[in-house]
Amino acid sequence: MTLKSYSRFELAENQLETAIGLFVSGGDRFSVISLAGAADVILSRLVINHEQKNFTELSLKCELERGGANETREAHGKCMNDALFINQIKHMDDDDDGFIDLEPEECALGAILKALVNYVILAGQQKDIVLAFKAWVRLNLDSKKYNINCDPNWKPHAK
Amino acid sequence: MARFHKHDVARLQLLTAVGIFLRGLDHSSVITLAGAASGILDTLVKRAGKEPFVDYARRVHCELVGYTPKRKSYSHHIDKKLGVIAHKHLSKDDPDTVELDLEKQAVDALSRALSDYVSLNGQDEPFVKAFFSWVWENTDGPALMEKFKIAPDRMKPK
Repeated sequence: MTLKSYSRFELAENQLETAIGLFVSGGDRFSVISLAGAADVILSRLVINHEQKNFTELSLKCELERGGANETREAHGKCMNDALFINQIKHMDDDDDGFIDLEPEECALGAILKALVNYVILAGQQKDIVLAFKAWVRLNLDSKKYNINCDPNWKPHAK
Repeated sequence: MARFHKHDVARLQLLTAVGIFLRGLDHSSVITLAGAASGILDTLVKRAGKEPFVDYARRVHCELVGYTPKRKSYSHHIDKKLGVIAHKHLSKDDPDTVELDLEKQAVDALSRALSDYVSLNGQDEPFVKAFFSWVWENTDGPALMEKFKIAPDRMKPK
């Protein structure tokens, strides 16, 4: 037995780092979603504990400003996690037919970005995994579809 | 949009977990991925009419302690013992730190998931063999098998 004490942040950071490493090296997308999703649960709570707004709250605020429905933080968070298939890929109900329809690449990217927002709130922009992932984004994503330079006034190009 | 079956989703996560473990990388990630695979494989093993790991563990518990724990609560207990809960959940009142034995929990989480995976698929795939070889070499496999041989049949998996 080698029991050691670990901070919750450390557990989340290690999982997020593995998720990003797998993603940029072409590894399994489902594993990326699970790892980033698990890290995000911890990071989201840590952000709240630090009395700041986490990604879910920031997203909810944006939705309300656009005239969206007034949901609770929990309901909005569940809705986002469902869209990213975070729960579907770690659970199967007795009456589940077992099939899921998704874009693994998009969900993996979304799961990392969601967790990364919370990570940056806690650890800042200058950590290696943040810099590395942002560099990957600039080099590999379509600037017409994604805001690769984090411009606050950016809008997606019309199709 | 592409269609996947959860069996393949579980397999890919387990394959990734074994790869991370055997390369000596992050044990936290191994625990989470093995835990995610188990969450799917348990249902598939039940559906195949075989005995999932959690039901085997409940049977052993009954032999040792005298009663069979409820499936849901014992499954949660196992997840907690393996460190799965600590890696995917944090409540408002939880402390900032947690005591874990990450290497042992990674081995145990992989063993649980692979037990269900092998029930469905056998043990001929290279990643399954690679992990079992590691366990054999690093946890005194021969001594473990001697203990297993003398255990009564009712304490063995079906």
